[in-house]
Amino acid sequence: MKHGKVCVIIPAYNESVAIGGVVKAMHEALSHSGFNGEIIVVDDGSIDGTSAVAKKAGATVIKHILNSGAGAATATGLSFAEHKGYVLAATMDADGQHLPKDVIEGFKVMSASGDDLLIGSRLIDSDGMSKVKVLGNKGLSLITYVLFGINSTDSQSGLRIFSKRSLTELRWKTSGYEFCSEMLWRAKQLRLSVNEYPISAIYTEYSKSKGQSNWNAVNIVRSLLARRIMELFG
Amino acid sequence: MSRYLLLVLLNLPFILTGMVSAITRYKLNKSSRRRLTFQFGLWLVILLGLSLAQPLYEWLYSHELTQTEPLSLFDVIQITAIVAILFIANRTRLKLDEAERRLNDLHQELSIRLSSK
Repeated sequence: MKHGKVCVIIPAYNESVAIGGVVKAMHEALSHSGFNGEIIVVDDGSIDGTSAVAKKAGATVIKHILNSGAGAATATGLSFAEHKGYVLAATMDADGQHLPKDVIEGFKVMSASGDDLLIGSRLIDSDGMSKVKVLGNKGLSLITYVLFGINSTDSQSGLRIFSKRSLTELRWKTSGYEFCSEMLWRAKQLRLSVNEYPISAIYTEYSKSKGQSNWNAVNIVRSLLARRIMELFG
Repeated sequence: MSRYLLLVLLNLPFILTGMVSAITRYKLNKSSRRRLTFQFGLWLVILLGLSLAQPLYEWLYSHELTQTEPLSLFDVIQITAIVAILFIANRTRLKLDEAERRLNDLHQELSIRLSSK
C-alpha cells in the first residue's frame, strides 16, 4: 500500500555512536512500509562528528550553528518539514530508545485517525523501564496536568507524529526539554486533536548514560512554571 | 498641592502608557485577549489604589484601624519609583521576549539555508 510523503526528524547532540544505526534502521523500516519518506537529522551543534555519521547513513542533515537545546532542534526540523510540504512528520530520539516499527505504526494510526498530534506513550505499558524513570516521567506528566490541564500518560515522550496542520500552526517558545510539555499546552490552545498510542522503549547502557537525569526535571518544572506565570503578563 | 494628588499625577503617565500599550498590542494581534485583560486589569488596580489612597487612609484612621502618619513626600517618591520600575520591567521583558524569538527564528532559518547548500 502506498502512503503520502512523510519525514522522520531526529534531533541529535553528540550522538555519533548511535545515530548511524538509528538512521539505517529507520531507512529500512520506511522502505518496507510503503511510506515515501525522508530522514532528517538536526545536529544541535555537536562536536563529535554526528553530522558526518548521519549523512553517511543516508540522512538529510541540518546543522545548528549554536547548541540551542532539544526544543529548538525539533522546531528547526519541523520548520524544514513544513517548507518541504510533508503531510506527516515524526520526531524520535537519536539514542536508539525508539523502535522504527513504532514510528511506522504512528504514521498508520495518524493516517487512520486524522488526529493533529499523536504521542507515543512509553507508560501505557512501561515494561523495561526502570522504576526511577517511570516515577520521573509520571511526575512530569502530573505537573503538566496541574499547570496546563493536559492529561497525558507520557508528556515527555520524544516520539511524536505531526499532521500537516500541526506542522503549520504548532509553535513553542522554550528551547530545552520543557518544550515537550509546552508543545501539548500550545496544541490545547490551538484546539488541535491530540491522542496517544502505546510504544516500547529500549534502554541500552548507552541510552541510559545519555538519558535525562531525574534532577533535570527540577529545571523543567521551574522553566514551565516561569513560562506559565510570564504568559499572563503579555 | 495635596500629596495624594501629586502621587496620582506623577504615576498617571506610567499607568496610561501601560494601558494604551496593552490595548495597542492586542489590536495589532501581538497579544491575546486574556493577556490584555490581565495587563489592563493590573494598571487599573494600581490607578484605583492610588486614587483611593486618601479616602482609604482617612477611613482607616477615623475608625482607629491605623496609627501611621499621613503620606509624606518621601512616600510619594518611593511609590512612584516602584510603579516606574514595574513599568520598565514589563516593557523590558516584552522586548527581550521579542528579541529572543527573532534570534531563534534567525538561527533556525540560517541553519536550514546553510545546510541546504
